[in-house]
Amino acid sequence: MTRSRLGLPDLGVGAGLRVPHYRDILQRQPAVDFFEVISENFMLAGGKPRYHLEQIAERYPLVQHGVSLGIGSPEEPAREYLTALRDLADRIKSPWVSDHFCWCRAGGTELHDLLPLPYTPEAIERVVTRAKRIQDFLGRPLALENTSSYLTYRESSMPEWEFISEVAERADIGLMFDVNNVYVSAYNHDFDPYEFVRNVPHERIVQIHLAGHTNLGRYLLDTHSGPALDIVLDLYRETIELAGPVSTLIEWDEDIPPLEELLAEVERARAVRDGALAARARRSALGLDASAVPARPERYRIVREQDTRRASPGWKQGGPREGVAHEERS
Amino acid sequence: MTDLSELQRWMSDALTRRRAVERDPAQVAAARARFTGNERVAPEAQLETYREQFWLRHTGALLEDFEALAHVIEQQAWERLVEEYLAAHPPSSFTLRDLGARLPEFVRSASWLPHHSLSADLAATEWAYVEVFDAVDSAPLDPSTLAQIPEHAWERARLLVAPSVRLLELDFPAPALRRQIRLGEDPELPARGEAHLVVVYRGSDRNLRHERLDRAEFVLLSGLARGQALLRATEAVIALGPEAEARVESELGSWFGHFAARGWLTGVELA
Ligand SMILES: [Fe+2]
Repeated sequence: MTRSRLGLPDLGVGAGLRVPHYRDILQRQPAVDFFEVISENFMLAGGKPRYHLEQIAERYPLVQHGVSLGIGSPEEPAREYLTALRDLADRIKSPWVSDHFCWCRAGGTELHDLLPLPYTPEAIERVVTRAKRIQDFLGRPLALENTSSYLTYRESSMPEWEFISEVAERADIGLMFDVNNVYVSAYNHDFDPYEFVRNVPHERIVQIHLAGHTNLGRYLLDTHSGPALDIVLDLYRETIELAGPVSTLIEWDEDIPPLEELLAEVERARAVRDGALAARARRSALGLDASAVPARPERYRIVREQDTRRASPGWKQGGPREGVAHEERS
Repeated sequence: MTDLSELQRWMSDALTRRRAVERDPAQVAAARARFTGNERVAPEAQLETYREQFWLRHTGALLEDFEALAHVIEQQAWERLVEEYLAAHPPSSFTLRDLGARLPEFVRSASWLPHHSLSADLAATEWAYVEVFDAVDSAPLDPSTLAQIPEHAWERARLLVAPSVRLLELDFPAPALRRQIRLGEDPELPARGEAHLVVVYRGSDRNLRHERLDRAEFVLLSGLARGQALLRATEAVIALGPEAEARVESELGSWFGHFAARGWLTGVELA
C-alpha cells in the first residue's frame, strides 16, 4: 500500500510567496507554516530575486512550484531547464517539486500557458514516460497538478480524474491537487467536482492548492484573485477528510491584497482543515474506515452567475514577475 | 509525428495568430473538428480564450519591461511594434524574462516608429535594466587590491568588470527619461544632444542606478568590459587626443578608485 502523502511531510498551511509581500514578511515574520515559490522566478543568476529568496529561506520552509515544464509538449523539457530546476531545489531544499499536467511548447515556440492535454492513452504514455525520468533526474518526488481548463478535446476518451490518476499511479509520482481548479473545470465542462475529488488516489496527494477565481458567467477564469469560494472550501474539506493532513497552500496572484488579508485566508483554510481532520479522527475512533467519507446530503451546487467584479484581463501563474517593473515603485 | 504532436503544433500555430479565431472561417471549421464546446461556449470560442491569453500575456510582459518606450511611441505604434516583434521572434525561452531580448535590435530597424532614434535609445536602455536586474552576483573589488598590483604587472593586468554593469552610448538622456515615465510623470521629450555616455549598474543594495561618464572614462571602462588589458584600454583613451592623454597621466588612479567604489570592478587578473 502507498504511504499517505507518499511519506512526505505535512507542512501545514502556507501561502504563495509574492513580490509585494517580501518586505512585510521579512520584517514581521508572520506565522505562516511554509511558502511556495514559482521556480521560474528564481532560476535567475543573481540580484534581488536571489537575495530575497535566501532571506526567506532562512526563516521558512519553502516548496517549489513550476509553470514551464510542459511535460506533455511534443518536445521534451530541455536538459538545461531541468538542471536549473534541480539546482534551485537543492538550494532551497524543496522537499518535492511540482508542475502541471499540461503542455506549453510546440515547434520551438513557448506559449507560456498551461494548455490542457487530450485525455487519451497516447497522452498518458507520453506523460508517464517523462514523469518517471524527470523524477529520477530531480532526485526528489515530482508532483503534477490538475489545471483549470477552458477547452475540451473531441479525442478525449476518459474524464480528467481518470487521466491524472492513471499517470500518477503508473509513473509513481505525487499529485498537487488544486481544489479550485477542480471547481473551475467542473463549472467550465459540466462535471461533478465531488466526483473528481472522490476518484483520485488520495494517498498520492502531497500538496493542495486553494485560490479564488473570476466568474465570467459563461465560464470561470482561474485568476487566483480573491478568497476561495465556499464550495471550493467544501471540496477542500472533503479532500482532507479523504486524504488526511496534507500541506495546503493559498495562491493569490491578481489584485494581490495586503499581507493581512492573505494571512486571514490562510487561517480560513486552517479552520476548515482542522475541522476535517477532527471529523476524520472521530470516524477512525469509531472503528470506521477513515477514508470512507459519507456524501453529505446538502452539497454545495454550482451556481452560474457572473461576478459583479470587473472582469480580469487574464490568468497569471505566480503573480507578477520580480523584475524591473517594481524597481521605482517599491 | 504522432497525432498528439500534430494536434499541438496546429494549436500552437492557431494560438499565435493575430486574428480572432471567430473571424477566420477555416479556423472555425478546424476548431469544431477538434474541440467539443458546450452549451455556453462554442468550440471556436474555447480556442479563442487561449489565443487571446497568448497575446495578453506576451504584450503585457513586454509592456512591463519597455514601459517608457511604449509611453513615448504611444498605443497605436506600440501595438503594431509588439505584434510585428512577436511574429518575427515568437517566444523561445521558458521564461518571460527573456522575451524582449531582441526588441532593441528590432526597434533599431523599425524606422517607421515615431521618435525613432529616441525609441532606439529607450529600448536599449530598458533592456539594459532588465539584464542588470538579475545578472550574476559578484563581489566588488577591494580598492586596496589595486595598490598591491606590482609595478611591472600593470601593463598586462586585466581589471574584471562586474556582470551587472552595462555601458550605453546614447544620443538622448534615455535613463532619466525612463525613470520619470516609470514614476508616472509625462515629461517632455528631450532633444537630441551631444553623445550621452551612461553606465547602468546594480548598487551594493541591489537597486539599479545609472551614471553619466565622460568620454575618457567611458572608453576606459568599455575597454575593460571587453576584456582588454590595462595597457590597451589606456592607449584607447590616449588616442582620444592630447587632453585625454594628460588626464591619463593625472587621473588614471582616481578613475579606477571611482570604478571600484561604485562596484563596477570585481577582480584583477595578472597575466
Ligand atoms: Fe494551482
